[in-house]
Amino acid sequence: MPLIAGMLAPVAPFLMQAQSTPFLKRFEPTLVNFLMLSFLLFVVGVAGVLSRRNIIIIFMSIELILNAVNLNLIAFSRYLELNKDALAAKGLAVNPLAGPVFTIFIIVVAAAEAAVGLGIVIAMFRNRETVAIDEIDLLKW
Amino acid sequence: MQLHGWEAALFYVLAILTLFMAVFVVTARVAVHSALFLISTLVNVALLFILLRAEFVAGVQILVYVGGVMVLFLFVIMLVQTRAEEESRVRLYTGQTTPAVLIALFLAVSFYFALNPAQTAFRPPDSASTPQTVETGELAKAGAGYISKDTQEIGEQLYRQAALPFEVASLLLLVAMVGAVLLARGSKQEKYYD
Repeated sequence: MPLIAGMLAPVAPFLMQAQSTPFLKRFEPTLVNFLMLSFLLFVVGVAGVLSRRNIIIIFMSIELILNAVNLNLIAFSRYLELNKDALAAKGLAVNPLAGPVFTIFIIVVAAAEAAVGLGIVIAMFRNRETVAIDEIDLLKW
Repeated sequence: MQLHGWEAALFYVLAILTLFMAVFVVTARVAVHSALFLISTLVNVALLFILLRAEFVAGVQILVYVGGVMVLFLFVIMLVQTRAEEESRVRLYTGQTTPAVLIALFLAVSFYFALNPAQTAFRPPDSASTPQTVETGELAKAGAGYISKDTQEIGEQLYRQAALPFEVASLLLLVAMVGAVLLARGSKQEKYYD
């Protein structure tokens, strides 16, 4: 019984809102909706990295993962920006612009990673004539 | 944080599109299709950034990812692509399904328990009285054609607080560029330069 109550806990605020707010208002996205979207994007990316055979598609899945992180950062930045005054009243000084700045650095690193990774792919294709990761097993014992 | 009216509807449309396109990226048979679906995903995420009032990051996303990185991906796919995958002669997946499922389950469970406190903690701090929804100040009065301060503020932040990481990032890009050229050159060129 406590287990079921615990499982219902994340949706409890949603259920309790039911009486007070109009029906459509309950579906307006908050930070948590953005976190869920970013999580699902992340999981799709991880599934791609773990299951695909073509190394280029694995690179694309890594881009998906990085984008999920970016979305997370921007959503938190927006949340902090909107609640800056309320948080300052509680004695918490926040910097909402740290989110976009980190996002830009992530994009830079992603671009560098893609350039070097694809260079390696081309060099490897020239030597082994394949892009399937289970055929590139020279270092595997 | 809360989006209202058409923005809320747009969030759900964009979220569903993003997720479907992401799944298509992972499951597409032809690598070029995969790249095109990834472009669609990236554009959708950029639109979500605009919904979150991060216009500059949305622009950077379009310019760098869609304009730069994806063109690179498409070029490499065309250089490297073998016909075997498209004619469904080879397997698409490595077959390590058990670890994949285990890791996905672990992630799902950990996120579930992370969301548990998040659901209450990430409401607006004074949500009991007034939801933090109404744009205040100049943004409320601004009509069409209003240019937000987002870009200017990020620029100031980048050049003041994050000046050193900014320079390190430019160095990283230079090293990556030289490295990519060095890795991708052919054996003929190698002989010529050696």
